Amino acid sequence: MIKLSPTKKRTLFFVALGWALLLIGDRIGELLQYQGSFVAMYALAIASIILLTGYSGQLSLGHSALMAVGAYAGALSINNLNLHPAIALVIATFVAGIFGLILGFGVARLSGPYLAGTTLALAVSLPTLANQFPILGGEQGVVFDVGAPPARFGEDFSMYKWFFWISTLAVLIMLWLISNVVSSRYGRTFRAIRDNETAAALSGLNTGRLKVLAFAISSGMAGLAGGLLVMLISGVSPSAFPLSLSFSLLTGAVVTGVYSLKGVMLGGLVLVAIPEIADSIVTRIGGSEGFTATLPGFLVSALLILAVLFTPNGPGTLLHSFKKHN
Amino acid sequence: MIQFITAILTALTTGAIYALMSTALVLVWRSTRIINFAQAGQAVLSTYIGYEVTIRSGSFWVGVISAMIFGALLGAAIDRFFMRPIFKRIQSGPILMIAPVVATLGLLGIIQAVIGFRWGLTYQSLAAPVSTDGFTLFGRVIAFSPFNLLVLVFATVSMLLLTVLFQKTNVGLALRASAHSPEIAKLSGIKVDFIRTLGWSLAGAAGGLAGMLYIPSSYLYPNAMDVLLVFGFVAAVIGGLDSLFGAVAGAMILGFAISFATSYVSEKLVFPMAFVMLVVVLLIKPAGLFSGKKSRRD
Amino acid sequence: MIRNTRMKRFSIVSAVVALGTMVITALPAQAAEPGLTSSEIKLGISTPLTGTAALSYGKVPGAMKAYFDHVNANGGVYGRKIKLIVRDDKYLPTLAATQTTNLVLKDGVFALVAALGTATHSKAYTAASLAKKNVPDLFVNTGFSGFGNRTKYPTTFTVLPSYAMEAKIISKFVKDKFPGQAVALVAQDDEFGVDGVNGFAAGSLTLASKTLYPQSSMTDARAKALVTGLSAVPGKPVVILFGTTDVTALILKAAESLNLVSKFTWIAGSVGGDSNTLLALGVKSTTIDGIVAASFFPDAKDTNDEYVKEFSKINAKYNPGVSFDNTVLQGMNSAMLTVQALRAAGKNLTRTGLIKAIENKGAKFASAALVPLNYSPTSHIGYNGYWMGQLNAKGELKPFGGTLSVVTTDSTNGPITPSTYKRISIPKNGIPTNS
Repeated sequence: MIKLSPTKKRTLFFVALGWALLLIGDRIGELLQYQGSFVAMYALAIASIILLTGYSGQLSLGHSALMAVGAYAGALSINNLNLHPAIALVIATFVAGIFGLILGFGVARLSGPYLAGTTLALAVSLPTLANQFPILGGEQGVVFDVGAPPARFGEDFSMYKWFFWISTLAVLIMLWLISNVVSSRYGRTFRAIRDNETAAALSGLNTGRLKVLAFAISSGMAGLAGGLLVMLISGVSPSAFPLSLSFSLLTGAVVTGVYSLKGVMLGGLVLVAIPEIADSIVTRIGGSEGFTATLPGFLVSALLILAVLFTPNGPGTLLHSFKKHN
Repeated sequence: MIQFITAILTALTTGAIYALMSTALVLVWRSTRIINFAQAGQAVLSTYIGYEVTIRSGSFWVGVISAMIFGALLGAAIDRFFMRPIFKRIQSGPILMIAPVVATLGLLGIIQAVIGFRWGLTYQSLAAPVSTDGFTLFGRVIAFSPFNLLVLVFATVSMLLLTVLFQKTNVGLALRASAHSPEIAKLSGIKVDFIRTLGWSLAGAAGGLAGMLYIPSSYLYPNAMDVLLVFGFVAAVIGGLDSLFGAVAGAMILGFAISFATSYVSEKLVFPMAFVMLVVVLLIKPAGLFSGKKSRRD
Repeated sequence: MIRNTRMKRFSIVSAVVALGTMVITALPAQAAEPGLTSSEIKLGISTPLTGTAALSYGKVPGAMKAYFDHVNANGGVYGRKIKLIVRDDKYLPTLAATQTTNLVLKDGVFALVAALGTATHSKAYTAASLAKKNVPDLFVNTGFSGFGNRTKYPTTFTVLPSYAMEAKIISKFVKDKFPGQAVALVAQDDEFGVDGVNGFAAGSLTLASKTLYPQSSMTDARAKALVTGLSAVPGKPVVILFGTTDVTALILKAAESLNLVSKFTWIAGSVGGDSNTLLALGVKSTTIDGIVAASFFPDAKDTNDEYVKEFSKINAKYNPGVSFDNTVLQGMNSAMLTVQALRAAGKNLTRTGLIKAIENKGAKFASAALVPLNYSPTSHIGYNGYWMGQLNAKGELKPFGGTLSVVTTDSTNGPITPSTYKRISIPKNGIPTNS
C-alpha cells in the first residue's frame, strides 16, 4: 500500500468523485441532470455558510445578497464584456469575495446577533437597489447565458447535461480548494477563533483580520454559487435572491452539520428533494385548493423542525452516538 | 412645512409599531438568547384569533384582550414544548447560533401554513375601533388620526408597564437576573425555566397587541407581519438587543430615518435606509446603542 | 478517527450512487407527443398559489380548472378530457424555472397555459427549454411586451394588452379629457411599473411628479405621506395609480383619512382597478365612485354581458365559494381560448399543429374582451387595446362620458386608433364548437 499525504488523498478523492459524477451524468435523464446541478450549487452555497459559521463562528443571514453580487457580476461580464462563461464564473467568485472583504471590514467583527441583523438588513436592501441601476436590468434582470454545449460533444448533448457538467465541475474545484484551506494553518486558526476568541487573541492571532478573511472567502464561495444559480435559471433578477434563500441555506447547513464540510452534498440534496417530496405527497392525497396550496409549505417546515430536533448537530453526530451505543 | 410635519407624524406612527415588534423580540432574546423569527407568525396567528373574536363579540377591545391572551399562551407553549427540547439536544458552539434560527423559521412556516388551512390566503380587513380620519390642525387635515394616537398611547403604556414590571417587581428582578446570569439566578432559587417561559409569554402578548394595532391600517393575511419582523429585528439590534428602552429607541430612530429618507429623497429608500442606519450605529457602537454589558460575545 | 472519516466518505458516495439508481429507474418514457393520450390532454400552469402575489392571482388556476371541468363534462375536446396540472412558483424566478421544468420533464405536459409574471416566466421559458422542445406556451398572464418577440419566444402567445399599451392609451385619454391639469404617476418599482413608466414616456405625457415605490414597503403611513406630498400641487391634479390592488387601496384609504379624495382625479390601472377587491379591502364606496379605470374586458359585475353571465354560471357550479371578479373572468377567458385553440388544431393534435392553429385561426376565436386578438403567422400578440371607464358607487365600471370607445395601439410608437372590432358572441353554454 502506497502512503499518500492527506492533501494528495483529498485530491484523489475529489478526482474520483468528479469521475463518478461524470459517469452518473451520462446515465441520468434531463430532469435529474437539472436537479443534480441544483444539488451541486446548493452544496457550494451551504459550504460557504458552514465555513463561516462552523469554522469561524459567525452567523450570516445575508448570503442571498452575496450570491446576488456574484450573479450580477457574472451576468454583466458575459453580456457587457463578452467574456467566456468560465471566466465569468471566476469573476463572480472574486467580485463577491471582494464585496465580502469590504463588508467584512465593517461588520465581521460584530458578534452573533449583531452580525445576523446587519446581514439580514443587507439581504432585504440589496435586491431593491438593483432597480436603481439601468445596467442591472431592473426587475426583469439580465440574461445569463452560458451558450450551447460545444458541438464536438454531439447532437444528443443536452443543455441540462451541460449545466450538470459546469456546476459539478465548478463546485468540485471550489470545494477542493476550500477543503485544502480548512485543513491548512488557516483552518486551524479559524477553529481556534470559533472555540475561544479570547484565547486565540492571547496566543497572538489577529482574530479581527482572520474573521474578515473567513467572511471574504465565504462570500466568494457564495458568489460562485450565485453565478451557478442564475446560469441554471438562465438569468438574474432581484427577486431570484429573496431572504428565504438565505434561510434555506441555513437549513441546509443544519441538516449537513455545521462542523464539517463533508456532508454538503447531503444538504444540497435535501434542499432540492424536500419540496419535490412535499409536492408529490400533496398530489397523491389531493384535497381542496387552499389545502393543497398550503400543504407543501407545512411539510417543508415540519421536516425542517424534525431535522433540528433529531440531528441538531448534523448527521455526523448521529453516527457518533450510533457508534457509542454499539 | 406640511411635508415636515407629515414626516414626523409618519415616523411616530411607524416607529410605534416597530417598537412593539422589537420589544417582543428583545423579551425573547433576554430570556433565551434566541432571535425568534416565528414572532411574525405568532403575532399574525394571535391577530387572526383577535379578528375572529372581534367579529363574534362585536368589540375590538375584547378582540385585543383575546389576541394578547392567546399570544401569551402560544408563546409559553412554544418555549415549553418546542424550544426547551431543542436546547436540551444542542451541544455548545456555533450550532447554538444557527439551530434555533432554523427552528424558529420552521415554526414560522408551520404557523403560516396552519393559518392558510384555517383562514385561506385572501386578505381580510379589520376595522379600526376609532376613526381613521385625520385630525384637523390650522384648518388642514393632518396625517395623524385618532387611531394613530391610540396606537401611540397603547405602545407607550405597554412600554411603561413592562418597565415597571422589570424594575419594580420581584418577577422583574427574577427576569433580569435570569437574563444576565442564569447560573447564579438558579443558585439563588429562581425558577429559571419558569422565568424563561414567562419571557416568551410576555413577548407573545406584545406580538398579539402589535398585530391588533397594526392590522387595521394594513390587511390580515398569513405573511402580513413578515416585513415588520425585519424592521423590528433591525430596531432591536440598533437598540442593543438587551434593553427594552433600546428596542423602543431603535424603533423610533428607524422610523424617523426611513420616514425622512422616503419623504425627502425617494420612496425606494425604505430597505436601504434600514441597512445604512444599522451599519452606522454598529460602526460607532458595535453592541448597539443601549446594551447593558460591555461585550456581546454570545 | 480515520475510520470515521472514511465512513462519512463512504456514506456520501453511497448517497450519490443511490441518487444515480433512483434516476435511472425514474427515466420517463418519451412519447411522440408528450402529455397526450386518446382520452386526455395534460396542460400545465406555473403560478403563485402561496405568498403575497397569490393574494391577487391565486384565483386564476381555479377559474381555469372550473372552465375545463365544464368542457370535460360536455364531452371534452374531441373526446379528450383536459387535465390541468398546477405548480406553485410563489412568484420567485428560481421556483418558476424549476416548476416549469418539472411540468415539462416530470409531468410531461402537452402545453403550458397562463404562466404568470415577467421576471419569473422569462427565466422559466429558457430554463425549461420551451423553445427547443417546441412546447406551446399559451396566453401568458403578463403585460410585458417582450413576450411578443417571436425570435426569443417562438412558442409563446401573449394575451393581455401590454402595460406599455395601457400607459399610452391612458396618456392620450388624460391629454384629451383633462388638459392643463398636473399629472402625478405613482407606480410600483418593478417591471410592471417600469414598463408603464416607459409607456407614459412613449405617450409623451408630461408628469408633474413620478413616484416609484417597492411594493412590499408601502404602508398606511407611507401612503399618507405620499398623498400629502401630492396635495401640494394646485388645482385638481390627475393621479395615476399603476400598482397592485392592495397598494391602490392603501393610497385611496390614505386620501380618505386626509379628506383629500375629491382633491384629485384618480386613475387606476387595469391591474389595480378591480372594484370588488377595492371594496373588500375597505375602500369606501363614495371614494370608488368616480375613479377612472382602463379595461379591455366587460365589467365583471355587468350581468347583462353574455360572457359574464355564462362564466358566472360556470363559476358557481364548478368553483364553489369563489366570488366572480376580474381575475376569475380572465382565467375563464384564457381557458376558453385554450379549448378553442385545441379544437382548431384538429383531431390529430400536435404541438406544432397547436401553434399553427392559433397563428392561423386565433384572431377569430370567441373571447370576452371588447378588443381584438391579433394572432397571425407573423404576430403572437393577443389583445392590443383598452376602453376607459369610470366606476360608480356600486363598483360598476361604466364607459367614461357615457359612450363606449374602444381604442387599439401597439407597444412602441404606433398611433392610437378607434377600434372597429365587433365581439364574437359566446358559443351556446360556453362550449366552443368552432374548429
